[in-house]
Amino acid sequence: MNNKDNLPDVNGFFGEYGGKFVPETLMFALDELETTYNNLKDDPAFIEEFYKDLSDFVGRPSPLYFAKRLTEHYGSGKVWLKREDLNHTGAHKINNTVGQILLAKHMGKKRIIAETGAGQHGVATATVAARLGLECHIYMGAEDVKRQSLNVYRIKLLGAHVHPVDSGSATLKDALNEALRDWVTNVDDTYYIIGSVTGPHPYPMIVRDFNSVVGQELITQSNELFNKLPDAVVACVGGGSNAMGAFYPFIKEEGVRLIGVEAGGKGVETGEHAAPLNDGTPGVLHGARSYLMQDEAGQVKDTKSVSAGLDYPGVGPEHSWLKDIGRAEYVAVTDDEALKAFHEVTELEGIMPALETAHAFAYLPTLMQEFGPEANVVVNVSGRGDKDINTVAEIDGIKF
Amino acid sequence: MNKLQTRLEELRADNKKALVAYLVAGDPDLDTTLELMHLFVKSGVDVIEIGVPFTDPIAEGPIIQKAHDRALKKDISLKNIVDMVIKFRETNSQTPIVLMGYLNTFIAHSDLIENSDNLGIDALLVVDIPGELKLDSYGIANPNIDTISLISPTTSDHRIKQITENSSGFIYYVNLRGVTGSSNLDMNEIEKNISKIRQYTKIPTLAGFGIKTPEDAKILAKCADGVIVGSSIVEMIDAAKDTKDFSDIEEYLKDLNRAIN
Repeated sequence: MNNKDNLPDVNGFFGEYGGKFVPETLMFALDELETTYNNLKDDPAFIEEFYKDLSDFVGRPSPLYFAKRLTEHYGSGKVWLKREDLNHTGAHKINNTVGQILLAKHMGKKRIIAETGAGQHGVATATVAARLGLECHIYMGAEDVKRQSLNVYRIKLLGAHVHPVDSGSATLKDALNEALRDWVTNVDDTYYIIGSVTGPHPYPMIVRDFNSVVGQELITQSNELFNKLPDAVVACVGGGSNAMGAFYPFIKEEGVRLIGVEAGGKGVETGEHAAPLNDGTPGVLHGARSYLMQDEAGQVKDTKSVSAGLDYPGVGPEHSWLKDIGRAEYVAVTDDEALKAFHEVTELEGIMPALETAHAFAYLPTLMQEFGPEANVVVNVSGRGDKDINTVAEIDGIKF
Repeated sequence: MNKLQTRLEELRADNKKALVAYLVAGDPDLDTTLELMHLFVKSGVDVIEIGVPFTDPIAEGPIIQKAHDRALKKDISLKNIVDMVIKFRETNSQTPIVLMGYLNTFIAHSDLIENSDNLGIDALLVVDIPGELKLDSYGIANPNIDTISLISPTTSDHRIKQITENSSGFIYYVNLRGVTGSSNLDMNEIEKNISKIRQYTKIPTLAGFGIKTPEDAKILAKCADGVIVGSSIVEMIDAAKDTKDFSDIEEYLKDLNRAIN
């Protein structure tokens, strides 16, 4: 047991990562949010409300499922799947939005904004906003609006407004910029639901805490199903919210390997990827200091990934810290490897993972060789792949 | 006292208000930026604020964002900008220069800032570092360079106190909740907040964001020690980038100067 899970510090830092690097206008809003969260997080009534929503609205706990054919396929340790894809709205993203909308409600905010990459966080936000009858605006890179058209329509069906963002690379980072600009402008009545463990403090902490239900359930379920903790937990990392939620309750359990898989795009060595923990340097973007893909002049580089949800040049500050202290391992797989895994998992298990999640699966061929037959390896199935069918079909040359 | 402090003191002694004009370095190119800086001075600008282009300028509205993007296409970095300022100083040793930008680009050039005795730059305004943090913790401080901090309509009294203690040169009061180039000035609120800031500090307080017309500037100059104008100028620079006829900008700046004094 260690105490590596007692961060961030009072200033919002995980070691030298994190912080609140935002224009002054937002400082009061971050302070207000932090105070609200600190007052509510241990309040039994708030906790009960959150867990009731997780069970009755989200459908938790999500199962820990034994992947028999994948296990046979790799021929070594047992592969288990944490089925976040079975959550309402089809991904882990709903855990966080259910929690944050309760904060918004307690703060009396009438207007909800969010950024989205793959659209899963946009859907999850629009869903909880609809449930409470709150006005909702989703910022989404114009490039992502194109490649995730199904989710765009879902968000609109839920009554939210989608604002395509044309600036910069027209992907997730630009959507975040635009959401921050909206927040600066409408800060008095607006709650910004950040969708990952990124952004200024207290967001990385709040988003981690709400997603930690995943890791907490995993501890209980592994003890029930195989009478011990898993040997490794594997998750994809873009901003890193599904990974952080799965990892966090295990940080103090040094015997459990924590493995984050980044988007290697065309290959880390080509520079065309979205893997800042593998090939970035510390920098400041979107309110936090963390590993970042940047050039020597401090300009943020464009990223490349087949997966819209991982196509982001930064990463949550707690991941940067876990990397530096060596508590978690971060690797990358290419677009091609992820696509291969997408097909493999779909065909072998009857489970179609999101392209983001497919990155975690794509590391299994390497990882499973390191384990004997008695090992238990958990893959966090962060989301389902229906939203990616158009993208995959296009790559396979199929037109509808 | 450096050039910025001296200039603001002189203006105050003469009962005059400061006109600060902003442009983005390298938009449309560095030679034009240099030409425009001289034009600014000729047109009555007291302090030049140079925007350092960044890929993700979260405090900027569309006009200045696009200028950042245009400058980045020309590979403008802080190093090029410093070289340009040194060139400017060959013929102008007096006009104070403020660099306004985002933390990440300054950190990337910390050697340049920390190890230079004479960059020709008088102050740094880092938009995304909270005013209670010190730039030297990030390796980007220099005893000859002032640190300008933002105070906004949402800043608490407690923070105003901390921020003013860490600031030098001037306090940049952000007139509105919003990005640069917005338009929703609430004069009552601005006046109230600027007088609140004055309770904590003697250094000048200048007002920026949302100032478009000489009339806006005139009203603000009644409570602030000066005004900062950005988006309108950047828009005019872009409109004249092909003809290089910047006479409209000259007229506009002269009008602003007359309006505030």
